[in-house]
Formats: sequence, C-alpha cells, structure tokens
Amino acid sequence: MKKIKCRIAKFFLKLLGIFVLANAAIFVVFFFDLDGKLMFNVVEPFLKKHYDNMERKDTLKTPYDMDKFPKYEYKN
Amino acid sequence: MAKKSMKKALKDFWFGKPHSAEEGGRRLGELYEDKTGLYKHREWRGVKDTFYYMYMIWGYNYLHMVTDILKYSNNPLDFVKGTWRYRWMGQTYLPVIHWFDRGLQGMRGEALRASAWHYRAMVSASIQQICNFFNADTRLHKGKENEAFRHTILANETTCGTMFYPWMDAGYQYIPLEMIPYFVTCHVNSHTVLNYIDAVQSIGLPGDPCPMCQAESGLFVLDDVPDAAPFVITCNEACDASVATSTLQDWFINRPLFALPLPMQFDDPLVKKYCMNEIEECWKFIEEQTGEPFSWESMVKRLEKQNKLQRDEWEKWEVAGRTDYYPVNGVAQALFRIFSTQYGIQGDFWDEASEKVKKIMYKCVQKKINSFPQTRHRVIAWSCAPLYFSNWCTWAYNCWGLNVIINMDSLMFDMEVRTDTYEHMLEDVATYHMWAPMRRMAVGGMQHIFELWENMEKFNCDMVAMYDQLQCKGMQGVHGLFEDEFRKRNINAFWMPHALPDSRTVSRAEIRRQINDYMTTVMHEEPLDPSLLDFDDSMTW
Repeated sequence: MKKIKCRIAKFFLKLLGIFVLANAAIFVVFFFDLDGKLMFNVVEPFLKKHYDNMERKDTLKTPYDMDKFPKYEYKN
Repeated sequence: MAKKSMKKALKDFWFGKPHSAEEGGRRLGELYEDKTGLYKHREWRGVKDTFYYMYMIWGYNYLHMVTDILKYSNNPLDFVKGTWRYRWMGQTYLPVIHWFDRGLQGMRGEALRASAWHYRAMVSASIQQICNFFNADTRLHKGKENEAFRHTILANETTCGTMFYPWMDAGYQYIPLEMIPYFVTCHVNSHTVLNYIDAVQSIGLPGDPCPMCQAESGLFVLDDVPDAAPFVITCNEACDASVATSTLQDWFINRPLFALPLPMQFDDPLVKKYCMNEIEECWKFIEEQTGEPFSWESMVKRLEKQNKLQRDEWEKWEVAGRTDYYPVNGVAQALFRIFSTQYGIQGDFWDEASEKVKKIMYKCVQKKINSFPQTRHRVIAWSCAPLYFSNWCTWAYNCWGLNVIINMDSLMFDMEVRTDTYEHMLEDVATYHMWAPMRRMAVGGMQHIFELWENMEKFNCDMVAMYDQLQCKGMQGVHGLFEDEFRKRNINAFWMPHALPDSRTVSRAEIRRQINDYMTTVMHEEPLDPSLLDFDDSMTW
C-alpha cells in the first residue's frame, strides 16, 4: 500500500514538474516575443519569397465578356 | 534607501510599473527593437495582468485560432492550401497576436480584459470568413464547384451582411469580398496590401485615387481572390472611385454580377425610394441565381439579433458618454463596431463578446473603476482612420493621456431595423445600407459631416482627432470648413494625415510627430511616457 502511495505521489510530482516546465517554456516564448520574432524573421520572409515567385494568371488577358450573361431586366 | 528601492521594485513586480514619468514610469517605448516593432520582451504588467495576458489573451487566442479553424473549416487541409495559395492569408494572419499586442499595449485591469474580448470576436469572425472562402474556393478544389461554392453569396465589403439574412436559413453564407483580403490585412500586417496597390498602378492606374479602391482592384490584378461563389454583388462603396473597382471586378470575376448602388444624398426621400427599389432588385437577382425564395423568418430572426447588438452598443455608449467607467479602448471600440455591423450576424461571436464586455463594464460602474485613470483629454475621432495605424489611440493614451472615447465609424449605423412589417423592414434596411462606412458622415452631406458637434457633446469630449485621408477627394474638400468651425467653436483639434492602407505615404512616425507637435506647441503639455515620443517602427507589421 505504501509503495502504491509512493508511486502515485511520484507520478503526480512528475506531472507537476512537467506542468511547471511547460509553463516556464511557454512563458519564455511569450515574454521574449519569440513567436513574433519567428514570424517576422523566418516565416514571413519565407512565405513572401514563395508568393513573389508564384506563377500567376495574367488577368489582363481575361476577355471582358460584356455579353456572356443575359442582359439583366429590372423587375420593378 | 536600499529598503525603499527594494519596496518599489517589489511593488512594480506585483502591480506593474506606474504609467507616468513622474511616478517612475514604465517607459513602454524602450520595449521595442529598433525598426521592426518587435518586443525585446513583452510588457510586464504586474503579476495578475501579465499572466492574464499570457493565458487568457495570448495563449487563449492562439488556441482558439486552431479550434476556430477546426470549427469552421470543412477540411482543415483546405486552410493549409489556402495559406499557401493566397498572400493576404499567409503573410497577414500568422502574426495576428502582434495585432493584439499593438492594440492592447499598456492596458491594465478591466480595460485589458474588455478590449481583448472585442479583438477575440473579430478574430473568430475573420477565421469564419477565411474558412468560408476556402471551403468554397474552386481553385483549392481542382476547379470543382462544390456545395459550399453553391451556397455562398459574395458581395462587396461595404454591402452590409443584413442584406443577405433572408437566405441564411437555407444554408447560404455571405462573404464580404474584400473584408479579409484587404480591410483586415491592413490592420494586422500593413505590408501585404502594398503588393496590391503596386499591382494596379503597374497596369497604368495613377497613384492619386483612393488607395482603398486601388488595393481592392490590385487583388484582382494579382489574381489573388478566391473563386468562391457562382455570382457576385458589387457596389460603389463610399465614393464613386469604387465604381471603377466594380468595373474591374466585373471584368476579372467573370460571373453574373449585380451592381447595387449606395446613393450619396440619402436624405432625399426620392433617393431612398430608389434605393429601396434597388435592394428589392438585388433580392430578386439572388432569388434567380440561387433558386431560393426570400425568407421573411430568416430575415427577422437575424435582424432581431442585430437589433440586440445595437441596443448593447447604446448601453455601452451611455456609459462611455456619461461616466469614466467605460472599459474599452479606442481601437477595440472602433474595429469591433465597424466589423460587426458590416459582416452582420453569422455566428454568436459578436453577442458573446458584447455580453462579456457589458458584464465587465457594469462591474466598473458598480465599483467605480476608472480603466483609463491617466486620461487628460476625452477625444472623439472623426472621418476615416489610418488602417495601418488604427492602434494610434492606444499609443496616444499611453504617451499623452488622450483617451479616444468614440469615433465616427462606430456611429454610422446607430439604428434598429423594424421587423413588424415588410415595408418598414425594407425602409430601414435601405437607410442602414445607405449609412455605409465612410459614407454617412464622410460624404453624405454637410449636415452629416457636422454631426461631429452633437456627438462631441453626447460623449462629453473636449478634443477632436481629425483624420485627414490625403487621397479622399470628398473629405479633402471640407478641410477648410472644419478649420473654420474649430476656431469659431474654440475646439481643440489636431489633424492626422494618412493614406488609409498605404503606410508609405505618411508613416506612423510622422503621424506621431504631428500629434506630439500639437500637444507640445498648442496644448503645452508634457508626455506621460516620453519614451513613446519618437521611435523607429518603420518596418513593423
């Protein structure tokens, strides 16, 4: 019984330790704006490069089909 | 001496440093890294508020962004595909928490809590729109027009969501075409929009028209708009520069299109009648396109929720105008209001946020908590705000004690829509539609532009922040009239030049400099936090 109690206590202590460590790590990320720094210095430049090099349709070549759809008749 | 400084350090640790320089100030400007606007470290607001911010704002919103995606997305993989496909998505929305940081900087206690709930609702509404876009977008589904596509109504962002309530019970959703790709991006990451402005100028548009219309057209030039609905409704937005945007949209969207006008001189009863006819035509067009009839029940159900939200706002304004206990800061007030009235009722997020804010507000009233204790001037902000620096109000409070109580954009749609008869409803929807953003009090006629004076009195303000959108030909035309009135009425007012989304024309630093100059040379006041007077954030989001 004592052994089981000891194991349970150890388990909860371990859980508490993980909880405290995880919170400390989250606090470091939060407080030192590491999320912002990652976005600004790594993610955004990477995505910008991707968007800049993306092949895009030349929309100016879209014909302006004035008569593609039937002429709208007002009902009122 | 050492004991005294130890006591102060402990006090600062527990409660956060005091606001003003005289009290040994918090010097918020020193938290920034040079140029980028990133934080060397986030602000220490005292134990309670720092951990509230960390868990209930920063962590809570990161977590809820994920749960919102899972809630609103038909397939979360579409969200990833959309992020990869659209610049306005990937470049803008990932740093969204920094948008919170900028708007909530320096806030403590109830102001921090209440303002953050407004932000939360806006993020939720944005994610819903983004997911609706991606659920329906044929580009992300190999050209396939799926159920979501067939149940989407795409309309110009200044066509209010109210217009489309009748089809929502039948499973239709309304997406404001430019609200997410253009409007919200400017607030969150002002870099993105510059690509679209440059794109439309690269095909020959001169640089002087309103940059809003430029950016909205540029989205199409760069082929960066989802193909998300079988038809589209456009309008002339705030002014007739947007007629050209509609023409370009007609060209590039290449789908059946109904152009719903927003009349300018809306006080004329004949104009109103014309507008009511146009709205009915628009509804007939939607009936034709969807095959679904107009549903009165669907309309009334949502109008009642919209009216409730309006009544909530009146309650808040009552407290804001008559007391010092209103806990929402200027930017959170303005953006929540313009966003919710334009997007309309498409979920419970507005109501949930409003209820939470009301609860905080009544706590402040009962306990007489002044959330902005360093207020030196109660400010009303008038005309259209710089989208890239909407958080100037937060800066102005922190630096100078200028507390923006209310702004023009919040006041435009202050009406309930009657639901007793169809005729009353139509009449009120027409009014609501015509009181569109940047319309009623910006280009809607002199008597409306000058509603400033009565609102100044109603909200008990002693100073005006006058936005000066350099490329808005409408408001530029009345600059002198305002100057005359300010002098005649002996009102303290400063001008804030800007170019709506384009941070290159007038930088944030320049806007701050103009306000600093006014506060020192005209008002002869000292800053509360001198570290915020001048800093370089030229590269910031």
